[in-house]
Amino acid sequence: MAQRLFIYPLYQIGNPQLRIFRPPFSLTLVRPGKEQPQDTVQFRIPMEMTKCDVRNYLEKIYNVPVGAVRTRIQYCTNKKRNHLNQKVKRPDYKVAYVQLVQQQTFEFPDIFTEKDVKSAEGSVEEMQEKFMEDEKQRQKPDLRRGGVTEWFGL
Amino acid sequence: MAATSVGRVLTLCRQFQNAFRISTSLAVQQSALTLTKSQSYLDRLTYPLLSSNWHCHVGQCRPLHTTISRRGLEEFFDIPENWGEPTVKSGAPWTAKQLRTKSNEDLHKLWYVLLKEKNMLLTIEQESKRQRIQMPSPERLKKIERSMKRLDTVVKEREDALRLLQTGQERARPGAWRKDIFGRVYWYRFREHALPWYMNKRYKRKRFYTPLFVTPHIRLRLEKHLRAKTRIQNKEREKQTVLQEKFPQMKAQSS
Repeated sequence: MAQRLFIYPLYQIGNPQLRIFRPPFSLTLVRPGKEQPQDTVQFRIPMEMTKCDVRNYLEKIYNVPVGAVRTRIQYCTNKKRNHLNQKVKRPDYKVAYVQLVQQQTFEFPDIFTEKDVKSAEGSVEEMQEKFMEDEKQRQKPDLRRGGVTEWFGL
Repeated sequence: MAATSVGRVLTLCRQFQNAFRISTSLAVQQSALTLTKSQSYLDRLTYPLLSSNWHCHVGQCRPLHTTISRRGLEEFFDIPENWGEPTVKSGAPWTAKQLRTKSNEDLHKLWYVLLKEKNMLLTIEQESKRQRIQMPSPERLKKIERSMKRLDTVVKEREDALRLLQTGQERARPGAWRKDIFGRVYWYRFREHALPWYMNKRYKRKRFYTPLFVTPHIRLRLEKHLRAKTRIQNKEREKQTVLQEKFPQMKAQSS
């Protein structure tokens, strides 16, 4: 609906339910800093969203049945200074702790696992990798010296 | 997950222009905001839109998912094949010209597809910051943002056109030209209030009139502005004369 400065229409008793088409809010799933229970998922949400908003968002858009939602606002420092000695504010953000229904569990996956990829035979990458391995082998210290570096003579 | 990967390709890939393909793939991950009854949801799925191979994909994907919530939260991450890759391929962002060819329903669905993609990218970005690893292909975020902005522009254009045709109103939000305390005239956009303006204490503190003691300062401000403008014009003229003296062959630039 609106990209910035989203002004909600005034609500008075008897008005129809407010519906927002094309919500401009985006959630970020984060890995919890502190240990959370197995059924809790942690999100960073924009400041304008409420618990009801988060619940409806997840239920309608992601089809995730939500049990309980708790939110808090994280205040970030205004103390840091840049190279001109001006105070630089780190933007605040809202955190939502969402508990799933029916003892479902969620574990934050490890996305950046290194894959062991064997490059194709006779290709440039394979030759480069071989070269790098040889270099590393050459630079390894002599095991017979028992950890003593070459700096000490003999 | 094949449906979501297809959706992901479609969000960004310029090649897939066919509206039919978009509608069906989006029908799988559509938002229930527009639908209230489950019956219409099923009607959507069985809607005989397009070629058989796409329909087969949709039909095959459905029974594979077991827990609904698992699939829901999995959509915050990329497909498992892309985990650990240094770069992920993505197509060009949507242009306004392409978006104007789509129907309102398609645009509505595309908004949610883009939104989900954006959430996924933000999740990956935050996780990469946490793990102190470079995010794979950060340009995807910019592409998504631009696509969403253009979509919004197109929808606004359509809404403007409809409103002009139906009511003749140029703006969606009513407003008026008003003078502020300093004598400057600006477009004040109205807000909705629960009580009339003469009972609104905060509104009355705003003062949409200029007090008498401000009027001499308005003239002084105007003089300052005119002086600055003339200074710029004179400088430009002097620069031109100096250049003409230095380079007589130069054509006189009229600005």
